[in-house]
Amino acid sequence: MITVESLTKTYGAYTAVDDVTFEAQPGRVTGFLGPNGAGKTTTMRMMVGLTPPTSGRALIGGHAYKDIPNPGRHVGVLLDASAQHAGRSGREVLALGAKVMGLPSSRVDEMLALVSLTDSEAKRKIRNYSLGMRQRLGIAHALLGDPQVLILDEPANGLDPAGIRWMRGLLKGFADRGGTVLLSSHLLHEVEIIADEMVVIGQGRIVARGDRESLTRSGQAATHVTSEDNERLAAALRAGGAHVEPAGTGLRADVEPVVVGRAALEAGVVLTDLRAATVNLEDLFLQLTSDTQRETPATETGASA
Amino acid sequence: MSATSASSPSGPATIDVSATSRVPFGRLVSVEWRKMTDTRAGFWLMLVTGLLLLAAIGITELVVQLNDLAIGFNGWVQVMVTPLTLLLPVFPIIAVTSEWGQRTGLVTFTLEPHRLRVVLAKLVAVVIFAVAIIAVSMGLAVLANVVNASFSGYDTLWNLEAHQLVWIIVQLLAYFLMAFGLALVTLSSPGGIAFFYVVALLLPVVVYSILMALLSWAPDVIPYFDMNYSMTPYQAATGDPTLLVLDKNPVAVVTSVLLWVVAPFVLGLRRVLRSEPK
Repeated sequence: MITVESLTKTYGAYTAVDDVTFEAQPGRVTGFLGPNGAGKTTTMRMMVGLTPPTSGRALIGGHAYKDIPNPGRHVGVLLDASAQHAGRSGREVLALGAKVMGLPSSRVDEMLALVSLTDSEAKRKIRNYSLGMRQRLGIAHALLGDPQVLILDEPANGLDPAGIRWMRGLLKGFADRGGTVLLSSHLLHEVEIIADEMVVIGQGRIVARGDRESLTRSGQAATHVTSEDNERLAAALRAGGAHVEPAGTGLRADVEPVVVGRAALEAGVVLTDLRAATVNLEDLFLQLTSDTQRETPATETGASA
Repeated sequence: MSATSASSPSGPATIDVSATSRVPFGRLVSVEWRKMTDTRAGFWLMLVTGLLLLAAIGITELVVQLNDLAIGFNGWVQVMVTPLTLLLPVFPIIAVTSEWGQRTGLVTFTLEPHRLRVVLAKLVAVVIFAVAIIAVSMGLAVLANVVNASFSGYDTLWNLEAHQLVWIIVQLLAYFLMAFGLALVTLSSPGGIAFFYVVALLLPVVVYSILMALLSWAPDVIPYFDMNYSMTPYQAATGDPTLLVLDKNPVAVVTSVLLWVVAPFVLGLRRVLRSEPK
């Protein structure tokens, strides 16, 4: 697992990462979410020793990254899929990685098959790769050493919806076998699909964390309900002291669904839909990071696109 | 997964690394060697170097035959030295700077976070390469000398003393190591190559030579900060006129090497250890 303790990085007067603490658990896919420039990449770079932290520390499986011998065998890292020599073939990049880690060359073929890069694609120079192909190659490189932990920066960037679904299956399988996955994204819908847990960062600080349910459950109980007779149900609920207002084709009441169900039973109203109201994750994300967005909330759709 | 003998149902919180040994240094060297040769840039550079060495031999052979000269082993070695001085240093520069220019350092320094080991592996790989190229060149010089003598009907002329040959190779390697150090300092291919040619070629050939001719004290001072002038007297044969101007001065050899080989390497190493490969 990954433990980040009070990690801080300052460049002069600018604080890129500010007292960040969180854990990524084994068996789970943890999403590291935040707008561009929020400090995701810097935090990940500090985890793997590319950037020295100003204070705090990051441990992977209980070790500082530089103390892990042959780290590729334990931690799979993808920080920037485009950071490869443009003149090397995809196969050669994996072959070099396998050589450093002391793996047989058959491992290269296994990984190419795993990320569905064909033989002819693998022989092409990376300068001719699309971003999606570079991401697949980067994921293959991260998985080469059969690691227990994966650290992936924006791995879904450039993948099409089918590719994102494929990656979800891959990472899910990895986590189900006991592996730890930390992946970052600035796109909520990507992380929403892939991650079990989320850590939201804005302006270098953690602004929220938890699984999707705990993040989206609104502070107060609320219920969306639709019935065959909304007016009678609303009256019954109001009689019980609930605040009710129309919402779409139904009602929104500030009580638990069980209270609404009981009121409907007593009033003899047939329910056609009943569910707990949740905050839209997208709204939550924009609200949490609104101080740190480059765009103002007025351009919500642009910022979330 | 080797170390997931689980303590919790979802997986262990710690990783057992006791069974993993660190990447052997020899493996790092062989990987760095492969990285020099597996790109088109590396391949062409090697091909061009080889062709230039052959072209130098060929052109010289032509001139020697046409003018019926006997240049001897010394002459043939000098023919080899110029293309070696010009092209050899490009190899260490590119081997170092491509990690930054092509941004492969992100992967390299993640797979081996001890950057000093990576730098030393690169150094060993490029020095092996340099020694091999120098050996091949000297072999070509021997061959050319023998072949030329038999063509022309002269006795084969071995007019190069062993200590001269040793100092010629020492100087080639010194400039080679200087290029490696300058690459570490600049972390940029154009910057490193430009810096190298200014120090190794432009200053001694254009600036220092004029100063040597004009200023009477220049021959006493310049060797202290230029490896070309500090090592030239050691490459001269006994009775060579160069020795009338330049003295053999071991202190100058040491100071010029400290200035252009040791200092750039130390400063560059500090820079690499502290840099944040992006």
